[in-house]
Amino acid sequence: MSARTLTDGQIVMRSLRARPLSTWITISMVATSVALLLVLLGMRTAARGAFDRGSGNIHLLVSADPSPLVAVLNGIFYANSPSKPISWAKYQSIRSAFPYQWAIPTQQGDSYRGFPTMATSADFFGKFEPVAGEPWKLASGRFFERPFEIVLGAAAAKGSGLKLGQQVFLTHGSGASREGGEPEEHAGHEHGEYPFKVVGILEPTGSAHDRALFVDLESSWILHAHDRRERAGIEGVTTSADLEDDDRKVTGILLRLPTRAGSDASAAMQQQFDTLRRDTAIVVAQPAQQIQKLFEIVSNVDGIFIAMAVVVLISSALSTMLALYNSMAARTRQIAVLRVLGASQGRVFGLVLTESLVITMSGALAGIALALLGGIAASAWLKASIGLVIDPSLDPRSTVIVLGGTVALGGLAGLLPAWRAYQVPVADNLRPAA
Amino acid sequence: MTASAPALAIRDLRFSYPAASWALSVPHFEMAAGEHVLLVGGSGRGKSTLLQVVAGLRDLGSGSVEVAGTRMDALRGAARDEARGRSIGMIFQTFNLLHGFSALENVLAALMFSSMPAAGHEQRARTLLSTLGIAAADADVDRLSVGQQQRVAVARALAARPALVLADEPTASLDPENTETAMDLIQSACRAEGAALLCTSHDPAMRARFARVESIDEMIHGGAR
Repeated sequence: MSARTLTDGQIVMRSLRARPLSTWITISMVATSVALLLVLLGMRTAARGAFDRGSGNIHLLVSADPSPLVAVLNGIFYANSPSKPISWAKYQSIRSAFPYQWAIPTQQGDSYRGFPTMATSADFFGKFEPVAGEPWKLASGRFFERPFEIVLGAAAAKGSGLKLGQQVFLTHGSGASREGGEPEEHAGHEHGEYPFKVVGILEPTGSAHDRALFVDLESSWILHAHDRRERAGIEGVTTSADLEDDDRKVTGILLRLPTRAGSDASAAMQQQFDTLRRDTAIVVAQPAQQIQKLFEIVSNVDGIFIAMAVVVLISSALSTMLALYNSMAARTRQIAVLRVLGASQGRVFGLVLTESLVITMSGALAGIALALLGGIAASAWLKASIGLVIDPSLDPRSTVIVLGGTVALGGLAGLLPAWRAYQVPVADNLRPAA
Repeated sequence: MTASAPALAIRDLRFSYPAASWALSVPHFEMAAGEHVLLVGGSGRGKSTLLQVVAGLRDLGSGSVEVAGTRMDALRGAARDEARGRSIGMIFQTFNLLHGFSALENVLAALMFSSMPAAGHEQRARTLLSTLGIAAADADVDRLSVGQQQRVAVARALAARPALVLADEPTASLDPENTETAMDLIQSACRAEGAALLCTSHDPAMRARFARVESIDEMIHGGAR
């Protein structure tokens, strides 16, 4: 066992322990403000990451929505059902006009118990990746192979409670739906004649697609052709043979341009984007660009939140300064005694400054732990409740900056109390108390 | 400290507080190594001030103060603080212990600013405390009796093996019986450590304990050797 000595660190720690309430309150304040700042910064990054998921390996999105941003919000994030369709002929003309890697048609508009449905082709599962580099994975079952088979996103499966083999009836637009059996009272306009069989449940992707249900395009066309035929007084079962050109509609086209091996970017992107934009009947969007635009819109708001968190952090540094400064009045004798024993003015300055740094460093580390734990809890909750995958890990760069900034603030906060300790008149503070 | 150097040598010392008409003036004063001197005089005559000037806690106006061969007046800032920690021990009327620290830590505090190697600090502190009758070295000083606290204060003053111990009215708040005990402790400890002792007191009964007694009034008029 090494021989005991007294060190500056022990004096600092003893001094902090001598006023536990003040020490813990100031550490807690710093921890809370650091956690708040890190969570806000992390949420901004994580939200960006979450929004980046979903567009996956799409280069361009075509729809008939009013604007490219609306097209992305509807076509990738299922914000609303697209209001205008695109004809099948238009889809074919776009697909054949350029050697795309793939052009996947999608149709939205139906739902099941509030979960949106996307009708699409088999390529949606075979070629489109909801997160670039991460293809679809099945938790159970298989992808649809025949009409009237349905595949459930992870959150939709969890939220609806549907299992493999169960039958569901889709609702036109949003509204109540039912499982196999008689239509429920107050149900929306339900496609009651055509039950879909659940054949697959997808693994979570962390994108909005997790909330959706997927059927093949022809089944969806048949549902709506049946509605048309009913309105026209035609009875009987509708089949693909009854489909007319006007029934074959899509609401979106996911496009991927040719790329060089090992690269996600396409040299033809801008040219093809400009070509498609000339067609006034459609809207073409670069999802990444639109998501950036969306973040520019909301960045002012989260900037305000982050500014508020910084103000809270500065307030906690001021509290540290006040707590230390006020404690100096009761510690002048201790400082004077240390000076008599041989401590220099610089050393007592350093001791008090170190106290401030210990408080803020402890608070910052506790705040990082708090933010990490809070992030893990929030991430688990978001994934479980809405299927949104938020990375709970803290951004190392932000964490280092916040840690460094907090310690720097702690240093600044300690300057005034340390200066007061530096100036303690030794001889005057050694006299017996009056 | 050189072998022949006096524990304390003051020459032509002059000190005054800012904007004060009163001034402390000591033409010449010397203490041999290991010598014990009692400095007497009424309250407000400058005894405590002289000790503070000797310890380098106050800047003198002119003259010189040499402790164990080191010119304290020529040193500034950290160098003077270091010299004080190395060569001077101080005992106060109210002990001025570090509250919240143990008896051992109070003594270690004096050693942390000394030139003594850290490896020997604990043994030195425990030996001193044991010699002075403190068995519970790890006990918080606030839990010790007044007598034990004084022993800790003496141990702390002697920990760094100073050439000179300055005791400022160390028995002013004690009754005659405890005064005897306290002074026995201080003087015997200083003798055991070979430290010179400059003790101030306004108590006439203290004179009998010292072979050399100086009056502050005579000293400031150049009467001391």
